[in-house]
Amino acid sequence: MTISRRVFVKSGGLALFSLGLDPLFLARAAFAVRPSARPPDRRILVCLFQRGAVDGLNMIVPHGDPLYYRERPRIAVPGSDVVDLDGYFGLHPRLAALKPLWDSKRLAAIHAIGSPDATRSHFDAQDYMESGTPGVKATPDGWLNRYCQHDREHEDTPFRAVAFGPELPRILAGSAPSLAIADLQAFGLRAPQPAARDRLTRAFEELYAGSATGLLSTSSQEAFQAVQTLQRVDPTRYQPANGADYPRGRLGKAMLQIAQLIKADVGLQVAFADVTGWDTHVNQGASEGQLAARLAELGQTLTAFAQDLGDRLDDVVVLTMSEFGRTVRENGNSGTDHGHATAMLVLGGPVNGGRMLGKWPGLDPANRFEGRDVAVTTDFRDLFAEVLARHLGASDLSAIFPGFTPDSARFPGAISA
Amino acid sequence: MKTRVLLFVATVAARPPVVGAQHAAPLQSPGGRALTPRDSAAHALNRLAYGPRPGEIERVARAGVLRWIDAQLTPDKIDDNDLARREREFAVLEYDRGDLATLYAEVQRARQERKRMGDTAADKPDDSPVAVKGRRFAAQVQQLAVVRAALSARQLYEVMVDFWANHFNVYFAKGADRFLTPDYIEHTIRPHAMGRFEDLLIATAQSPAMLFYLDNWESVAPGATPPRAMRLQARPLFGRRPALFPPPRDRVPMDSLRPRAPKGINENYARELLELHTLGVDGGYDQHDVIEVARIFTGWSIRRPQQGGDFEFHDWAHDTGDKQVLGLEFERGQGMDEGIRLLKLLANHPATMHHLSRQLCQRFVNDDPPDGCVDDAVAAWQRTHGDIREVLRAIFHGPDFWAAANVRAKVKTPLEFVVSAARAVAADPDTTPRLAQVVARLGEPLYLHVAPDGYPEREDAWVNSGSLLDRMNAAVALAAGRLPGAAVALDSVAPDTVDVQHLIAAIDDGILGGTMSQNTKRVISEQLSDVKDPVQARALAIGLAIGGPEFQRQ
Repeated sequence: MTISRRVFVKSGGLALFSLGLDPLFLARAAFAVRPSARPPDRRILVCLFQRGAVDGLNMIVPHGDPLYYRERPRIAVPGSDVVDLDGYFGLHPRLAALKPLWDSKRLAAIHAIGSPDATRSHFDAQDYMESGTPGVKATPDGWLNRYCQHDREHEDTPFRAVAFGPELPRILAGSAPSLAIADLQAFGLRAPQPAARDRLTRAFEELYAGSATGLLSTSSQEAFQAVQTLQRVDPTRYQPANGADYPRGRLGKAMLQIAQLIKADVGLQVAFADVTGWDTHVNQGASEGQLAARLAELGQTLTAFAQDLGDRLDDVVVLTMSEFGRTVRENGNSGTDHGHATAMLVLGGPVNGGRMLGKWPGLDPANRFEGRDVAVTTDFRDLFAEVLARHLGASDLSAIFPGFTPDSARFPGAISA
Repeated sequence: MKTRVLLFVATVAARPPVVGAQHAAPLQSPGGRALTPRDSAAHALNRLAYGPRPGEIERVARAGVLRWIDAQLTPDKIDDNDLARREREFAVLEYDRGDLATLYAEVQRARQERKRMGDTAADKPDDSPVAVKGRRFAAQVQQLAVVRAALSARQLYEVMVDFWANHFNVYFAKGADRFLTPDYIEHTIRPHAMGRFEDLLIATAQSPAMLFYLDNWESVAPGATPPRAMRLQARPLFGRRPALFPPPRDRVPMDSLRPRAPKGINENYARELLELHTLGVDGGYDQHDVIEVARIFTGWSIRRPQQGGDFEFHDWAHDTGDKQVLGLEFERGQGMDEGIRLLKLLANHPATMHHLSRQLCQRFVNDDPPDGCVDDAVAAWQRTHGDIREVLRAIFHGPDFWAAANVRAKVKTPLEFVVSAARAVAADPDTTPRLAQVVARLGEPLYLHVAPDGYPEREDAWVNSGSLLDRMNAAVALAAGRLPGAAVALDSVAPDTVDVQHLIAAIDDGILGGTMSQNTKRVISEQLSDVKDPVQARALAIGLAIGGPEFQRQ
């Protein structure tokens, strides 16, 4: 009988740990992963999915292009409102809070990024962006999970890969252990009083320690370790640092809890959060309105997160993503319909910031995708692969993005060398 | 996009299967001895059923386990009136595809109206009556699966319905599948769950839910254009609505009110048909076969999909050339019959028999199915031309099914855990969707596996730290009667006695089939030592037993 790699690594690690040896030794022998150039232990990646297809053109506005204003008479952001970045592109005014991060070279933006697959279905496009295999629906796991499967340099702590939300998203689905946490405060056994909760926790811990076998045994050990860790961290008493003020709502709460886990040093390496409300077909608004409200929440959240982390931002990269962009021309309902390429943000200490990345194809109809949408000039996998390789130290990129040949020459240059 | 205001809430929790090796725990009991009649009954109830209800191990053992198995193989002859009564409380069953499509359209219109009125708070749920009704129906569809599994006397049949719903997976939250999925379960999967595989395969191939899920409905021969009458027919259902079905996550832009240009061949269904539904990934086909199969299925479509219409074959969309699949000629000009012939061929192909037999042995015997079990199942398949009942009979009568190494060798999936827990405490779940929510919380939101491979069967997909803690919480809450809509009857499990040892013995006997470890007995008895109220003590003991390690296995 063979043993699954996950059980092998876990039980092997535990066995050696009790003998006082380095568990990584075994993991290396088992997978022959060569040690990466730099220790990735403290490095953290946070992925933030804007579900619904954000209008990249109103998030990072090409205010230097008259075509932008011609195509969007009712929803274009006036040049006087745009927070200029490089004379051509600028931030939507409700993202103004991010400008200091741009100025301190910790924020970069990339335009004309997207999927090589032409689908305009939210369902398919999100699926592809999370599986990391555009055009292939049968891929069983997500690329963030595959990263965890293949990079054995980092220890599998219970908090290595965490998604904030009620269920595990596609991007983290797979055989590497990952947690979905709706609320850190509710993680663990639940009972009306702390004393009753602690007692119940001990009871189950003893039950599993004495009677569980196989994967039930190793997973339960992890579970109670995690509960203990969180007790030490005590999420109920967390106060954001440096006056950081997270906006109310799901996104702010998720990023606050991610910051908390980062600062608690519980072994978090990849985190995921998502936010909806970007599917602006009707009354999208310009400087104010529907999209502006969503962008304000996004900008305030990212700013609060950066403030809260302080120096720890040096180890952290936040990557925003969205399944596709929206039509260049506004529609009959003062909104935009499903398009192709969009814009993404990369934020954090290791970021090669203060720059627009990617190759801008322009808004000229001749250069548009199918005559209507911003064309994709950067495959999203080029950016994701760069972040994994240069930030987290991933070495086996082709296993993480099957069917794709990673090439550092195509990396957009989001991470400082 | 506002997922919360959708008719059917879209949540994704893909859990992929893990290819490769398996870990089986050493068997704790009964230590290689021959199974006693009670052991055999407990084993059969754990595998052919969703675990024993109070007293059921005893009843099955007394009646004879093989007789019970044979009875389960002919579900039509089992009286199921209790379930039928409960099913009548599920209002969603009174709605057909078309009704649900209409409801869906109403939700969409109300949503558009709200948007036009400027009510655009993105994370606010739509509380209009029609939206609330839509959400209630979606929850009912999931809860109904749990209720049937918990209450039906036709246990094996319900297990097979779950097996096939997974094998022929569709995604409840993808566009039209929001209103097509309930019909798919009722009229495609359930009538064929214990029949011939060939009939089930054809039924799924012609189901609007599958045609939509794997995109075959819009697969047309290159260059084919719909006849003029058809284009007119495809006009918007409601005023400004576009011609093709626009679910909220797949909205067709308003500027595409013009008839959409046919896109050509879509290989999606063809590929999954070969890889997942029939031959298996190593079934001996190649990319050329996939394309040829896709050509054969051009024109297999849906009549008025936005109105919840039925299967329809579009002659105009069908590829009229010769095709060749797996070396066999499919002569041109046979229209829809080409597809029927192909499905029959695939259903009875040796690779399909092996692939499906393996999956059934994995479900019923061991995550790593023993070769002997697979061989027995394949032989029965060949002999009976894919009569599912006879394949199952061969598995249950084979030595591997009863081998000590395979008893309690599998970990329960979230659905199996929640339903077996409900059965263990004689719960009587109603339409309140709480149990279905617990199943979702544990990682298996029903009908919401996004990828076509369905939920995995192997333990490493389900056992992780977060979900284990959730299982413990669910067990304690259920036993304490704190799960709304799932009234428990603990008196039928054990008396509310102050005699702790007597209580533990009754729980071991009735819920764990006598497999409770000494450690578990000790821990429970310690926990009860200072609990004065016998009713509270009993609930705690049962909660610990169900949340504990023994109950996670089957």
